Amino acid sequence: MEKERDVSTSGEEQESGKLRVSRRSFLKGMGVSTAAAAMATAVVPQLEAETAPLVKGIREATIVTEINGKTYRLAVKSNWTLLDVLRRELGLTGTKKTCDRSSCGACTVIMDGKAVYACSLLAFEADRRKITTIEALSEGDTLHPIQAAFVREDALQCGFCTPGMIMSTKSLLDSNPRASLAEIKEALSGNICRCAAYPKITKAVLSLAQKA
Amino acid sequence: MSSEFAVIGTRQPRMDGFEKVSGRARFTSDISLPGMLHLKILRSPYPHARIVNIDTSKARALPGVKAVLTYKDMPMARWNPQMPILTDVARFVGDDIAVVAAVDEDTAVEALGLIKVDYQVLPFVLDPEEAMKPGAPKLFPEGNVIGGTPAVVAGGGPKLTGYEIPSATHSVTRGDVNKGFAEADLVYEARYRTPILQHVPNESRVAVAQWESGKLTLWDASQTPFDVQKAVAKVLGIPMSKVHVSTEFLGGGFGDRSSPGRQSVLAAMVARKTGRPARIELDREEAFVACLHRYAGIMDLKYGVKNDGTLTAIQAKVIADGGAYAIFPAAGLGILECMMYIYRCPNMTGEAWTISTNNPPTGPMRCVGHPQGTFAQEVHMDIIAEKLGMDPVEFRLKNHARLEDGDQFKKIPFTSNGLQECIERGAETFGWKQHWQKPGSSPGPIKRGVGVAIHGCTHGRMPPGMPLSGMVRVNPDGTLNVFTGATELGGGQKTTMAMIAAETLGVPLATVSVVSGDTESTTDTGTTSGSRQTITGGTGVKLAATDAKNQLLDIAAADLKADKKDLTIRNGMVYVAGSEKGTPVGQFAANAPGGVIFGRGVMKIPTDIFTNTFAAGFAEVEVDTRTGAVKVLKIVSANDLGRAINPMTAESQIDGGVILGVGFGLAEEQLLDKPTGICVNPNHLDYKVPSFNEAPEIVHVLVESVDKVGPFGAKGLGEPCCSPPAPAIANAIYNAIGVRFSELPITNRAILMGLKAKKG
Repeated sequence: MEKERDVSTSGEEQESGKLRVSRRSFLKGMGVSTAAAAMATAVVPQLEAETAPLVKGIREATIVTEINGKTYRLAVKSNWTLLDVLRRELGLTGTKKTCDRSSCGACTVIMDGKAVYACSLLAFEADRRKITTIEALSEGDTLHPIQAAFVREDALQCGFCTPGMIMSTKSLLDSNPRASLAEIKEALSGNICRCAAYPKITKAVLSLAQKA
Repeated sequence: MSSEFAVIGTRQPRMDGFEKVSGRARFTSDISLPGMLHLKILRSPYPHARIVNIDTSKARALPGVKAVLTYKDMPMARWNPQMPILTDVARFVGDDIAVVAAVDEDTAVEALGLIKVDYQVLPFVLDPEEAMKPGAPKLFPEGNVIGGTPAVVAGGGPKLTGYEIPSATHSVTRGDVNKGFAEADLVYEARYRTPILQHVPNESRVAVAQWESGKLTLWDASQTPFDVQKAVAKVLGIPMSKVHVSTEFLGGGFGDRSSPGRQSVLAAMVARKTGRPARIELDREEAFVACLHRYAGIMDLKYGVKNDGTLTAIQAKVIADGGAYAIFPAAGLGILECMMYIYRCPNMTGEAWTISTNNPPTGPMRCVGHPQGTFAQEVHMDIIAEKLGMDPVEFRLKNHARLEDGDQFKKIPFTSNGLQECIERGAETFGWKQHWQKPGSSPGPIKRGVGVAIHGCTHGRMPPGMPLSGMVRVNPDGTLNVFTGATELGGGQKTTMAMIAAETLGVPLATVSVVSGDTESTTDTGTTSGSRQTITGGTGVKLAATDAKNQLLDIAAADLKADKKDLTIRNGMVYVAGSEKGTPVGQFAANAPGGVIFGRGVMKIPTDIFTNTFAAGFAEVEVDTRTGAVKVLKIVSANDLGRAINPMTAESQIDGGVILGVGFGLAEEQLLDKPTGICVNPNHLDYKVPSFNEAPEIVHVLVESVDKVGPFGAKGLGEPCCSPPAPAIANAIYNAIGVRFSELPITNRAILMGLKAKKG
C-alpha cells in the first residue's frame, strides 16, 4: 500500500478555498475518549465566517483530534504541522523529525488507518481525524507484537527511524496481514534508515506476516 | 566457542531495544525545557567572502529575540585548529555567520532576515587541484595545502603533521620504487575519483544547553561527549567539572559528530549569556550544507607487476579535498593508508595532500578515507589482474599481506590477520568459481556480473594519549552497573559492554545495567568513532570487571575460608573447587568494605600496537543495458572482527556498512553549482540515501582471528565492512558489461555513457 501524502479535503473545504475550520462541530474540553459520538452535538468556535476576506499570514484556530484514543481540543497555528503538535505541544516525542519534507518516514503516524507523514500535514488537516502514534502501541512493559519482533530480530540500530518504521509496518499489516516480501518492501520504502537495518527489518516484518 | 564462554559469542538482542521500539528512548532532539530559547544560524550565501560590516540592531530589537551573536562576541580561545565558532570570513556557502536566540523558532527565523551583512565577496576555488596552484584564492593566510607541504609517508620527506603514526618519524623509503618499476613486466597507471558525501544521520545535529548556578548541562547529539566537555570548558573558560555533557541515545553518527560541533558551543554560550535553556537543531538542509562530509578524493596510482602476478612497485599520489575546514587535517593520509600495507610489495612510495577549498567542511565518514582509497586500489588491482589474465580472487590471494608480513610501513607486527580467511571463505560462500565469467558474456540486455574487493586498515586506532577506561559496580544483590564513556549510536555499544562485564565477572547478562556517554557519571574512553569502542571501551570495562571480581573473591575467600585461587564465579554464584554448592555473589558484595564493590579499569594506550581489521566483499550485480540501472543482487561480506562479542549486532553493523557502501558506489554525491558554490541537492529527494529497494541480499561471514589486544580477541567492525562494496560493485559492473568506471557514483547515466563510449 502507499502512503497517503496528500490528505484530500472535503467538497465543503474546496468550495471555501481556505483554511478549514468553519461549519464544524467540535467537542468541548480535552481528554474525552468518546470523540466520534460526541462530536456531532458540540458547538465549536468558528475561525471566521466563510465570507470573510482571505487573510494573509499565520492564523490560529482550534482543532479537535483523537490521538491515541484520547480526544484533544487544541489551539493551533496555521503553519504548524501535525508533527510540531505531536512533539512540541503534546510531548509525544516518539514520533521523530528527520527530513521534515516527507521524504524519510521518521515522522510516520497512522491517521484514520493509513500511514502518513506527520511532517507534511498541517495541524488543521488532522482536525476530526483519528491519529495513532508509536506511544499507543505498547502498554506498560508489554510490547506490541511488531515491536517485539523488531527487538527479537535486531531490526534496529540507532533507533531513530524505528518508531516511523514500526508505524508503517502496523499500517501495512493492519490492512494486509499476510503481506509478501515485495509488498513489505514497497510499503516500507518511504522510510529511510541510515544505519540500514533494512535486511533485519524485512525479516522481522516477514516473520509476522508468515505467522498471520 | 560456546564451551569457552558463557555470554561472549551468544546472540543477544540489544538491551536498549525496548526503549527504541516503544518510542521512549530519549534522544537529544526530544529534550524540551521550560522557557527554552530556540537558536537559528545565519549562513553565508557566498563560498568566500569577508564580512565588512554586520548590523544586528534590528534583529536585536525584534520582540522575542533574546540574543544575537556574531564573530565579535566569540572568545579568543581556539577550540578547533581551523574552524572558528562564528566566522568573519565565510569559506563555504553555509558558513556560520551569526546566531539568533529567540523565544520560538519563527521569531528566530524572522530575526535572521533582519541582520544586515556587508560582504566583500572574494574569489573562490572548489577544485582541489586548482587550489594547489600558485595564485589560487587562499582560504587561510598560510595557503591551501594543509601543513604547508605534502605529508610524505614513504620515500623520505618531512615529518607528518596532525596524524599520529609514531613510526613515521623514523620511517624510510620502503625499497626502491624505481627499481620495482624496472623489474615489472607490466606497469599500469590510472586516476580515480570519489565525490563529496554527507553522513545524513537520521537525527540532525542538535544540542540543548542549560546554565544553572554556574554549571552547564549540555544534552548533545554527539559521538564524543567528553571532547565536547573539553571544548566547551575551554571556550567558556570554565572548569571541566562545571560542564556536564550527556548523550543517552544518538540517532546515528557515522563520523559527523565524532568531534565537537559549532552548534554545541553556541548553545552553551547562549544559555550562559541569557540564563535560559537554549536549544539548537539544524534543519536537514543545514545538515547537508554545513555539517561534515566525506571528503572527495583524487587518487593517482601506478603499480608494477610481474607476469606471474607478483607486485613489484606501488606508487600513489592522493589528494583529499579538505573543504573549508578539514576536521581531520591529514585527510589524504587516511586515503593513502589503504595502499600502504594491505598488499605485499617491497617497493612503495606515497604522497598525501590535503587541500583547503571552498567546498563544505569535511571529516571522517565511516572511515577516514578508507572507502575512497579502497575504491581506487581495488579497481586498479582488478584491471591489473585482468591484464595478466588472472582470476581477480587468485590475484588477491597471491599478493595480500599475511600475518607474518606485519605492517610493512610501520614495521610492526599485525596483532592478528584474518584476511586470507576472509577472501577464501567469502569466495566459497559466494560461489566465486561458479559465478566468475568472461566480462560481458551474459546474454540479453540485462547482464549479470560478479566482482571482488578486499580491504584492511588500522581500525580501533588508539592514538597515544587517548583515554581508555571503564567502571563496574557490584550491588549488594549481586547485580552489576557498568559505566562507560562510549556513546550508544546504534552499534550495540551498551549491549557489548554489558556482555563483556557479565562474562568477566561470571554473572547473568540480565542482571547487568549500563550507563553510557555521560560525562558526569562515566569516564572518558575515547570518541565513539574509528571502530574503536569494542577495543577501548570494551577493554576498560573488562579491566574494571576484573578488578571488581578480584575484590569480590578476596571477600569470598575470607568468608568461605577458602583459597582465592580455588574460587570460581559462574552464573552469579561463587563456587569453591570441589564443591557443587554455590553462594550468590550478592552475599559477598553486601559484605564489602563500605558496602559496595567498585571496579576500576584504566590502561595507558600502547604506542607500538595498532589493531588492523580486514575484510573482503563479493558482489553480484545486474545491469540493464537499456536503462543503465544497476541492481545489486547480493553482497557477501567477510569481516575479520577478531571475535564476535555479539554476532547478532555484528551482523547488523555489517548490513549497515554494506548498504552504505552500495550508496557510495551507485548513488550518493553532494553536488555544488560550480559558478556559485551552492549545494543543489541538500535534501533526501535529490541526494539518494539507499532505501529498502537498494538493499541487496547480504550474507555475513564472520572471521574470528582472535586478536591479541582487544577484549576476548575482539576488534572493530563498524567501518571495515563499508569499504569493499563500492569497488566490488564497480568490478562486478565491468564483469557484466565490459565497461570500467574510475569515478563514483556509477549512476544510470554513467552506465549509459560508458556503454556508448565502448560502442564508439
